[in-house]
Amino acid sequence: MTQSPRKTSGTSGRRKPLSASFIARVGLMATLALIFSYVEAIIPYNPGVPGIKLGIANVVTVVALYKFGAKDAVAVSVIRVVLAGLLFNGLFGMLYALAGAAVSLAGMILLKKTGLFSVTGVSMAAGVLHNLGQLLVAAALIEDLRIFFYFPVLMFSGIAAGILVGIASALVLRALR
Amino acid sequence: MKQFIRKADIILFIALVVIGLAASAALTLSHGEAGSGAKVIIESGGDLFARYPLSEDRTVVVPAPKQKAVDAPTADPDAQASVQYDYYNVVVISGGTVSVTEASCKNQVCVKHGAVSRPGESIVCLPNRLVVRIDNGSEEGGGYDSVTS
Repeated sequence: MTQSPRKTSGTSGRRKPLSASFIARVGLMATLALIFSYVEAIIPYNPGVPGIKLGIANVVTVVALYKFGAKDAVAVSVIRVVLAGLLFNGLFGMLYALAGAAVSLAGMILLKKTGLFSVTGVSMAAGVLHNLGQLLVAAALIEDLRIFFYFPVLMFSGIAAGILVGIASALVLRALR
Repeated sequence: MKQFIRKADIILFIALVVIGLAASAALTLSHGEAGSGAKVIIESGGDLFARYPLSEDRTVVVPAPKQKAVDAPTADPDAQASVQYDYYNVVVISGGTVSVTEASCKNQVCVKHGAVSRPGESIVCLPNRLVVRIDNGSEEGGGYDSVTS
């Protein structure tokens, strides 16, 4: 577990060793996110279309981003995705989730920097971007652009899931303040 | 409520919904066009035998390549395919679907395959080296295959 945050922090500064509080904090949040992933994986609900889910674990990512910053959010997200991939979703699922997480994290960090959007808005954009990233990976793997017929479905589900996650995150952040 | 939703959020929400609606509308429209432009491509022995629009009903007798070794009889459109050729397939395009209704081979895999109707689907008869596939008309001649192969 302590290896992963070290790896992800490579971009932010290699000279400084990671602080103990960062490792402990990220470890706790990654664990929490993993539990959310697990809970979501065992809830039997089928929306009819594959690939649609709420993504409660992203509440932790959003809270980490707003409470502790981009570095924490990236670390938590990567650890959670890799572990959830190994435990529940399989390696291909992990590939999709990593792409989605990368795109949505980049979008969230940028949108948060503009200062125009609330937590809900940032999360909504992240939900859409997450699905878009997954779709791009799917298109690359299947080598068939016809998969973009799926785009509108993922777009609307991303908006809905993002808003719900965003409201939950806003409530958590208010309680933490 | 201000910390939950701001003006920019609503603008972003509307923008995303509009993009989603536009994408679904565009996809529905392009899908309709693609369906009408779909072609049935028949390949025999690796070479293009014929190409027909999927929308026109017709029945085609495709002689197998090994037929050419034998003295091919003169084509008689009224005669039964089985009388004319030793090795052949009969491809039927009907109501937007393609099927192989007759084959000279023993296993009859292509006949049992049933009808196909969607772009990208195909029926293959290995003994007669026949490939029947449906190609999306709009993708035809696009550099798609030439890039990947």
